[in-house]
Amino acid sequence: VTINWRGLLGLPILLAWLLAVASSFFGIGLPSAVWWVLVGWSAISALYFTLSRGVLSFVLKRSVEALITIWIIATATFFLLKILPGGPFDSEKALLPEIKAAIEHKYKLDAPLWQQYVSYIGGLAKGDLGQSYKYLDRGISEIIAESLPTSVQLGAFALLLSYLIGIPVGVLAARHHNRWLDSALMIGAISGVSLPSFLIAPILILWFCFSLNWFEPALWQGPEFYILPTVVLGTRAAAVIARLVRASVLEVIRADYIRTARAKGVSERVLLFKHVLKNSLIPVLTFSGPLIAGLITGSFVVEQIFAIPGIGKHMVLSVSNRDYPLIMGTTLVFSALLVLCNLLVDLLYAYVDPRIKLS
Amino acid sequence: MGRLLTAALVGILSSVIAIGCTKKGGKLDYGLNPSETLRINIQQEPPSLDWSKSVDTTSSLVESNIMNGLVEFNLSDPELSLDPALATSWSSTRDAKTWTFNLRQDVKWTDGVAFTGQHVIDGWERLLNPSTASQYAYFLFGVKNAQKYSQGKIKDFNEVGVRLDGEGRLIVELEQGKSYFPYLLDHHSTFPIRKDVIEKHGDRWTDPANIVTLGAYKLKIWEHDKALVMERNDQYYGSKAKIPYIYAYMINEMSTAINLFDAGKLDLQYELPSREIRNLRTRTEYRQKGNLGLYYYGFNIKKPPFDNLKVRKAFVKAIDRKQITDMLAGGYTPLSGWIPSGMFGYEPERGIQFDLEGARKLLDEAGFKDRSKFPRVKLAFNTLEDHQRIAENVQAQLKKNLGVTVEVVNEEWKVYLAHLHSDAPSMYRMGWIADYPDPDNFINLMASYSENNHTGWKSAAYDDLIAKGVSETNKEKRRAIYSEAQRLLTEVDVPVLPIYSYVTQALVHPRVKSFELNALKKYVFRGVELQ
Repeated sequence: VTINWRGLLGLPILLAWLLAVASSFFGIGLPSAVWWVLVGWSAISALYFTLSRGVLSFVLKRSVEALITIWIIATATFFLLKILPGGPFDSEKALLPEIKAAIEHKYKLDAPLWQQYVSYIGGLAKGDLGQSYKYLDRGISEIIAESLPTSVQLGAFALLLSYLIGIPVGVLAARHHNRWLDSALMIGAISGVSLPSFLIAPILILWFCFSLNWFEPALWQGPEFYILPTVVLGTRAAAVIARLVRASVLEVIRADYIRTARAKGVSERVLLFKHVLKNSLIPVLTFSGPLIAGLITGSFVVEQIFAIPGIGKHMVLSVSNRDYPLIMGTTLVFSALLVLCNLLVDLLYAYVDPRIKLS
Repeated sequence: MGRLLTAALVGILSSVIAIGCTKKGGKLDYGLNPSETLRINIQQEPPSLDWSKSVDTTSSLVESNIMNGLVEFNLSDPELSLDPALATSWSSTRDAKTWTFNLRQDVKWTDGVAFTGQHVIDGWERLLNPSTASQYAYFLFGVKNAQKYSQGKIKDFNEVGVRLDGEGRLIVELEQGKSYFPYLLDHHSTFPIRKDVIEKHGDRWTDPANIVTLGAYKLKIWEHDKALVMERNDQYYGSKAKIPYIYAYMINEMSTAINLFDAGKLDLQYELPSREIRNLRTRTEYRQKGNLGLYYYGFNIKKPPFDNLKVRKAFVKAIDRKQITDMLAGGYTPLSGWIPSGMFGYEPERGIQFDLEGARKLLDEAGFKDRSKFPRVKLAFNTLEDHQRIAENVQAQLKKNLGVTVEVVNEEWKVYLAHLHSDAPSMYRMGWIADYPDPDNFINLMASYSENNHTGWKSAAYDDLIAKGVSETNKEKRRAIYSEAQRLLTEVDVPVLPIYSYVTQALVHPRVKSFELNALKKYVFRGVELQ
């Protein structure tokens, strides 16, 4: 029996990730080793792909660019924070000057700005994100490590849901172009984009938790807790995807090669799934980079409404607390994820569409 | 293949719905049984359980259940008298300058080590040590040489006025007499510490595995940003807690917490959304209780037109405080004096009362007969819905009653604070919640040297009264001193417009017994029972 090693690097990874996310949804706790295997497996395929397609120089170039981007973001954020009025230890009860001085000395806030900057960037280079000013005695890496996984989990569920709903709805709408089903679906999609989550969430909670008594109104402890936040967070993304897919399918369906295929007698179903859909998903891929980064770094509103212990809260509250190290930490995590997702999307482009040249 | 896929999809969907429908009601994390667990919501992750350093009410709630100070407030006493805790009794010299505390001998920390007076001294040393950088270091600045130690001017802690005598009693020497000194000792910042534990574990000493305490509860689980569990301490020296466990959620969104309360998963929610108070207060689970806090506006008397006393008085006379408290509907007490209701020294009639004719007359006399000549002044507050509602109400009252237009401006909290310190707006909102239940804590705010006085008002007579009030031990004489100080502040010079004293509102599940809200907004669960 010959194993097709190359075959293991493409679609199966996607399926494995889907399975893993689904099992996490159903409260089946996979050992962390499984997750590391998945990550490793994905990394190996990315590497294999990079080498086999000869895009190594592209990836290296982009990685260097990514580092520079992150450094620029870190620098800009650092100085912007210092311009922002108000400090981390200001409160309703004003501090005595000597106490304020002791605190500022302890956190080295009394050092010249350039020294603070150099010491922060120096720490960053060593992977040290510093200590929180608000959560005394807790490191920023620790806070992120504790809150990010929950946000990633919620984001992954929402992402999956948005694909599961968005893609079929988009295809269906395109197939029934300019008929009532199309209009109905698109009205639904526009509502999905425009309705804010702080409106949808309470309505769903009222209905599903208190009238129907199906789900839990808040917290993050199992499937009955996951469903509503996932729906609320996923709806908007699903709506955007549906509109993208619809537009894209309509464009592809008019392409010459589809007409040719149809003329050659290819059945409508094969035509749709094999030729149209595959080619229509490229815009979705483009959109997925920022979407993934946005979904997994947490939604403040959804996490707030459902009391989910994710990182979204820290992103917002760290600013109102002027917890400089935590603001820097969350900003950098978000930027790093965004840069990484965009790089992956670029690689995926080349993978799904050989016409796209990476350079 | 297509059918298989469809079947799989249908299978997944139906199992999702099936799981969704089998809601497991009442289950609690960590295998806790709801029937022996009090479920409370502490609103947020406690920023620190290191009681020498923490500054917020959430941390303080946990700390006052897992720790004890030398004394303890009797929260059911309207006068908030002190009960013995780690000290069995205490006394002072006549001038209230030297205090002696007899300590309990039978107290054990959770690791079995016996409590001694040295642990108190260690705690005070750590609080005052500049390297700890505690925001509450000023709590002990009344102790001899404490402030100098905190400023680093004295390096040897032996020079600070606290020591043990030969019989293990704690002797405290103050810079000057302070009649309310024991009141400071139920505050977490003055609690004893275990230096050995802190040195051993460093910043990690407050982790449940490391922390050593001596209160009625002990810290069992602390899952950051998610939940915290306290377990009854069976070695507690006093009467043991009645409920075995306390499970604390960290839910910031009040409506979410109320949803959980309605779903029967929460027993106590002690912050309620003010916009819903009108509905919530009709519920049987609703409780309210005045607490020692003050909501006020300050005038910047350096800025015209508030450099004119008559204008300030006219503004205060023009405001009907009851309109504001009625609008808020949460049971707030209008306050015209400076000491909040429920505290020693409170006088309902103190300060300038609502007087429409008087207000108009004063403004005329101030030279603004022609109201169009009145400058446009700013009324500033930090961005929050309630502050907005109150500011708009005051704006409307001033327009209607005096015919003057003020502009309401809001700023984000920290920006607002920065402005207060650098260049306080003409009229600004502020509040204060008691650190300790003594009028000095409030009167002190407007001292000429106070960092919290943004009005620009400085009065030597007022500062004198503060100094007298602190060292006076006769209760009636003290009352007279604070009455005079309030008169100076709210009737004579009027740099402030007090509006109301605070109220705590809560929803309490009927199964929770022997639980009362108190004026200090302290939540001590030792005596609470579950039915």
